[in-house]
Amino acid sequence: MGSPKKWLNKKWLNKKPLLVSAAVLTATAGIPFAVYAGTPSTVTLSVYIGYDANNPQAQANLYNKTLIPLFEKENPGIKVTWSYYSSSTQENTELQTAVATHQGPNVFELGTTFIPTAYATKSFHVLSAADWKAIGGKAKFFGPQLTMSGPNPNNYIGVPEMMLPFAMVYNTKLLKAAGISKPPTTWTQFVNDAKKMTNASKGQWGTVIDPEDSYDPWKIVWAYSKQLGSDFLSPNLKKATLDSPQVVNAMTFWFDWLTKYKIVAANDLTYKNSDALQQFENGHIGMWVFQGPSLIPSLNQSAVKGEYAFAPLPTVPYGMTSRPKGGTPTQTIVSGQDLAIPSYTTGATYQAALKWIKFITDPKQQQELFNVYGDLPVNQQAYKGDAALNTPMMKAFVQSEEHASPTPFSGDWGNLETIFAGVTNKLADELATNTFKPADIASQLQAANAQVQQSLQ
Amino acid sequence: MVDQSNVSISAQSISVRRDRRKRNRPPYWMIAPAVFLLAVIVAAPFLVSIYTSFTSLNQYSIGNWLHAPFVGLKNYISAFTQGSAIGASALQSLWVSVAFSLLTTLCITPIGIVAALLVNTPFRGRSWVRALFLIPYVMPVFVNAITWRLLFMNGWGLVDKVLAWLHLASVNTFWLIGPNSFWAMVIADVWSSWPFIYLMVLAGLQGIPNDLYESAYMDGATQVRCFFSITLPSLRPILSLALLLSTLNHFNNFTLPFIMFGTPPSPQADVLPLNVYVTSFQTFNFGLGAAMSLITLVLMMIPAYFYIRMLRLGEATT
Repeated sequence: MGSPKKWLNKKWLNKKPLLVSAAVLTATAGIPFAVYAGTPSTVTLSVYIGYDANNPQAQANLYNKTLIPLFEKENPGIKVTWSYYSSSTQENTELQTAVATHQGPNVFELGTTFIPTAYATKSFHVLSAADWKAIGGKAKFFGPQLTMSGPNPNNYIGVPEMMLPFAMVYNTKLLKAAGISKPPTTWTQFVNDAKKMTNASKGQWGTVIDPEDSYDPWKIVWAYSKQLGSDFLSPNLKKATLDSPQVVNAMTFWFDWLTKYKIVAANDLTYKNSDALQQFENGHIGMWVFQGPSLIPSLNQSAVKGEYAFAPLPTVPYGMTSRPKGGTPTQTIVSGQDLAIPSYTTGATYQAALKWIKFITDPKQQQELFNVYGDLPVNQQAYKGDAALNTPMMKAFVQSEEHASPTPFSGDWGNLETIFAGVTNKLADELATNTFKPADIASQLQAANAQVQQSLQ
Repeated sequence: MVDQSNVSISAQSISVRRDRRKRNRPPYWMIAPAVFLLAVIVAAPFLVSIYTSFTSLNQYSIGNWLHAPFVGLKNYISAFTQGSAIGASALQSLWVSVAFSLLTTLCITPIGIVAALLVNTPFRGRSWVRALFLIPYVMPVFVNAITWRLLFMNGWGLVDKVLAWLHLASVNTFWLIGPNSFWAMVIADVWSSWPFIYLMVLAGLQGIPNDLYESAYMDGATQVRCFFSITLPSLRPILSLALLLSTLNHFNNFTLPFIMFGTPPSPQADVLPLNVYVTSFQTFNFGLGAAMSLITLVLMMIPAYFYIRMLRLGEATT
């Protein structure tokens, strides 16, 4: 063998450059396909799900040791792989990449409020009557969950997988110590109860806000706006209504918890959901609104274990004895996880995806998911004979689900969420720097409304 | 009459020379895979970005992005004129980024130089100190960001508690929102990035011949005089390069503000990379996001131009 220089100067190398380059590139490019193609009779189904930060090991065990082996045993010839996203941001970018490149996971687990955006991309299969039959029919699901599956029953792209109705979690010990016998059912009672539980010198507060969170604030303000008879978009989805008096009223009420009623700490202005959770778990918070059952595993490992309970949200606005005309008793958004199949999944893989969805939404698997995630089953049959799903705590969520309202099915909802988070963030900034004026709420919402309106199609 | 043998020899020698030239010609084709990868990884996305910046690509058209409606220069105009209800406008973000990168570089330069000088001369345990100095730099950015987020929490964060204990500020000073968020970002970044200057300067110090210092001391120069007359001038090329690279790195810092403040951040901490990210991937305005990215690129070309010139200057002088 010659020296490297001599080897480089070999004539055959200089004479056949393109051939060699092509051979190298072809060989290397071919490797992934050779590995992943599998045998012709095997269909590989890739499933993309949300990461369970509370119990990642249990989630991995559920998929690797329980769900996938059972499914593959029941469906020979289908191999399932799974990967996860650890945040809504990652969920968002992965979906965008898959949609733009027409390749990626075969089944997406998407949050219900994200389904309108997925629908807007026109890159997901609209499920036919035959598809629904293969999944086990629409009737097996909780009705309200299907309202976020598509713009109308003929155009559903999402299949409910888990539901996450929101409620109010409260500290039973603090409630009892304040002489309160039961959780509030009106917002006036809520404020009064929170005042009773507040003891600033002890660092104990009636409730908590997290204006720096990207998602929590809009949910609370939206539900209160619905109770007042308004929404963030007009019914035909053509007009943004963030500047309506009801929404301004709702936002004002939320910040009044700090500025007027003094039932939350000023420190809350920098809080995200995780910070608020930490405060509740340390036993510093009396009531925390708009929280779901997925909180339970975390609470059970905290200082408030055995000292908390859930109740549906109050439904009568502050200072009123009943809801105004047009107001709805909204206690939660239609929330949870849906499964959707991107359009690039076709043929045998598509059929395999439908089989997986049927499998995962059947009662037994629904109960398995509940045991790990704490999110409620969407299959009504799953509740029958399962003691853990029929506790008073769970019934509070089921009761909330009965008063769930779907958020507007607009492809611009994700954009609206981000813009709304910008408003709460700016208002929190002003409050933190003592530059806040009550009129700023209306002006910030007007600016946000104009920006949302620009993007509406 | 022409001597045939001479002609033959001459032709032969030309042929030999040609063959030798051919043999000695570098095999450029061997860089083909690298060129191919550069084209795929750099050139293609860059061209796609240019194309996207002239379209109104959003969630409605992303599935068929090649056919997104063409809007001409609208996105570029919007980038400079449009206010934002979310965070800062693009123009405001630009100033935040410029101020952030310049200020951070300005702060870390003296720290890095002093640290390098401290460990340049041998002493017992020097290798341990050198290793300790690198800790902030090797720590993952997200760990750094989360740690500083906890330190800056108002009311119970360590920063507020220490400041209140020293009677310098209220225990309820907000660092993660409002105007102070900019300073929180600068402090966190200074803490994690000064070792970069330290490393560069330390490398530069190794190259200064000891003879210079010995001659200077024999002539009665003090240590301060040596620093300003020998050390600093000798470090000038490497220090200039370090400052340029540092400015570029800080301008493009995305992870630190993203983890420290989340999205959307306070306008005062809404650096341009974060603004581009929110615009593109959270509000689905990919066209505007691409235009903002390209504007950033043009701005970055200014220090990059000086950087490349400096490298050429270095080549010429070595």
